[in-house]
Amino acid sequence: MAEEFNTESMLDMFLYESGQLLEKLEGIILEKQDADCFDDSDINEIFRVMHTIKGSSGVLMYENITKVTHKLEDVFYYLRESHPDDVPHTELVEKVLAVSDFVTGELDKLKSGDTPDGDEHQLVEDLDEFLGRLKGEISKQGIQMPQANKHEEPKQFYITPVAGDDSHFYRISIHYRSDTQMSNIRAYSATYALKEIAEDLLYTPDDILSNEASGDVILAEGFHMLLQTKSNKEEVIGLIDSSEAEEINFDELTKMEYGKALGEFGREDAVTIDLGDEKKPEEKEKKKDKPAPGDYVVKTKEAGKGKTLAKNQPKQQSIISVNVEKMDALMDLIGELVIAEAVVLQNPDLKVPGLELSNFQKASGQLAKITTELQEVIMSMRMMPLTTVFQKMKRIVFDVSRKLDKDIELEVIGENTEVDKNIIEHITDPLMHLVRNSVDHGIEENAEDRTSLGKPAKGKITLEAKNEGGKVYISVKDDGKGLNKEKLYQKAMDKGLIDNKLISEFTDKEIFRFITLPGFSTKEEVTEYSGRGVGMDVVVKNIQSIGGRLDIESVEFEGSEMTLIIPLTLAIINGIVVQVGNSPFVIETASIKEFVRVDEDSLIHEPSGEEYIVLRGECYPFIRLNERYDLPDSINKIEEGIVVVLEHEGSQVCVLIDKLLQEQEIVVKPIPPYVKKVKGLSGCTQLGDGSIALILDIAGLLIQDGERR
Amino acid sequence: MKILLAEDDFASRKFMDKQLSRYGECDVMVDGEEAVDAFLMALEDDEPYDLACLDVMMPVMDGYQVLKAIRDIEAQRGIPRSKGVKVIMTTALNDERNVKMAFELGCEAYAGKPIDVEKFEKVLNKLGLI
Repeated sequence: MAEEFNTESMLDMFLYESGQLLEKLEGIILEKQDADCFDDSDINEIFRVMHTIKGSSGVLMYENITKVTHKLEDVFYYLRESHPDDVPHTELVEKVLAVSDFVTGELDKLKSGDTPDGDEHQLVEDLDEFLGRLKGEISKQGIQMPQANKHEEPKQFYITPVAGDDSHFYRISIHYRSDTQMSNIRAYSATYALKEIAEDLLYTPDDILSNEASGDVILAEGFHMLLQTKSNKEEVIGLIDSSEAEEINFDELTKMEYGKALGEFGREDAVTIDLGDEKKPEEKEKKKDKPAPGDYVVKTKEAGKGKTLAKNQPKQQSIISVNVEKMDALMDLIGELVIAEAVVLQNPDLKVPGLELSNFQKASGQLAKITTELQEVIMSMRMMPLTTVFQKMKRIVFDVSRKLDKDIELEVIGENTEVDKNIIEHITDPLMHLVRNSVDHGIEENAEDRTSLGKPAKGKITLEAKNEGGKVYISVKDDGKGLNKEKLYQKAMDKGLIDNKLISEFTDKEIFRFITLPGFSTKEEVTEYSGRGVGMDVVVKNIQSIGGRLDIESVEFEGSEMTLIIPLTLAIINGIVVQVGNSPFVIETASIKEFVRVDEDSLIHEPSGEEYIVLRGECYPFIRLNERYDLPDSINKIEEGIVVVLEHEGSQVCVLIDKLLQEQEIVVKPIPPYVKKVKGLSGCTQLGDGSIALILDIAGLLIQDGERR
Repeated sequence: MKILLAEDDFASRKFMDKQLSRYGECDVMVDGEEAVDAFLMALEDDEPYDLACLDVMMPVMDGYQVLKAIRDIEAQRGIPRSKGVKVIMTTALNDERNVKMAFELGCEAYAGKPIDVEKFEKVLNKLGLI
């Protein structure tokens, strides 16, 4: 009988605590990496971190983690007790990082539901050897050897539940034929069959065996079940006896929906979020949530009913950390609300002439204000500072620069800049590539190369984040050798990545952008960290997938700057609704350069069927949306329609539309998976009149256009 | 070894009984009060249990109450912790606060359901029972 409570499990707590401790540990280590030694408080802190992780991993019986942390704890025990001089500091730093990496790796395995089976032997041996040398040093220096660090074996153990497949959640409704005899007994046998596989099963009416009248209810309203199980749909269907059933409805639910449905079924552990009483959450928690012996006494079971606790579980919980899934769900709902608002406010019924709407307008103004505020609040709740991402970058600079034997200093500006959580997830990898590239390719190999140019011997990389005009700018800047335009051009030509044009025909930015072409890598040799030519184009793709772009600036011999420009949030954009034939399309306002009326004369027809438009001497590719997407009843004469010039990353394309409808906030929804992926469309949205509009993906249009030509 | 199993859910009871019978004689109780009675009876007969596996959600007394009662009885009779019965809680209530509370009340191990049989055996080993 799995009873789900809204609290964190022992394992979650272990993962969370250990993760936090390791983060803290890395912070200390990286801060002190260049110092001569750790000071007392650092040693104490590292000792304490290791001790805590060792202890809790012991209780949870993750033996490899326990062994490794145990050893490192020993090392720091000797450091703490006898303060030896001449500790090889860099080696120690490496050891600590190795342990921290090992444990992080194991924690990751646990997080993804695997067994932590990393082999600790090599690491333990290394640490033993290091500890041996350390002890030798201690006795050489004539310091009294401290008593051996005493370890207490854990006396209490926690056995983590078997990790299995994720549970599925189903809502099953059975309607029996109206002449079915003893439908309640049939219903009961259905629940009985499901009990075998159920982790949780709830049904209504719930008194099917004890109350004969329930049979009539079942006939009239159907028999409804909520099931949580690890079995798949086919298995579940196979278990239900369908002989007398007229209709069986079978819905798979998400965990959220299941939580909601539990509420409808009258269960008390349905999802409740209480954000009130912020003042004294700790006190409240103590009072209400601390379990005590006797809380879990089960009332004598009534026939046919599930277990209920004699003392009701407290309904209210003051939650400080909220599950991301719930936040996403809330975000989705608010998106829906914005759409629903548009549906109401722009309802075609309101367009009847002569309607007196002044009160309605007032009320709708109020509604619009509240939904906007709601949007802002949820956005701000999803904002997270970039601190953790930047912390990772510090580690990368440290690792790579040591491996490549370069002396590099990292400056971090604006690490408290906040961005949407989704965005953080998407930029970590691209940013890592950029930082690695800067260390590897940006900064010169030899200090002499730098000093001869009058630059300080120590290389410098600046990581900066700022928030400006609804966009986040994250830049990685180095003071290294910069990009050589001729080399880039030559390389791109050799690899056949660009058209046969002279170097003077390209702007600087265009040349720099060569490095983002797939298959381009300027570095002659491939190093462990970069130079495989898969980096930059992946970076650009990742960034584009969240609607951002990469800006490259560089001056040879002075350095380069790579800037990621990303929208603050993903879900809601400002767009212009246009119409082609009978279909509305949405174009993101930011990518529209201009609207123009064009004469037939400015059109160039290629023999292959492609068309170009000449505008003020510039030539742009031209796409007729109606032909592209087979839309009937649309304008075909270019004079009668409107040409929209779209820009994305410096390339332009023109599209022909029939008319402009309006500008509005657009809630971006993904195109449902049952529709085949259509090129040139990035999503869809619902308009005020309830119709669905497709959102044009400019990058997609450009790529497709390029392929066609 | 003598084992006390308290578990009110039929399926779990059957499973646990099967598992534990491999290690020794297993007495099966269906609610908390019965478990305490059985524990007392065994003490009276001078054949105390070596291991007690307690479910948490049970009728009359819950597993935590049983645990507390057992430890109280042992204290009252002057049985030192090292000689007392080893207690393993077996429950699906896996949140950290419940586990901590059980540890404070004096259980040796806390096994989340569904039970990891391999680890369970390891713990029995570490507790010196097998």
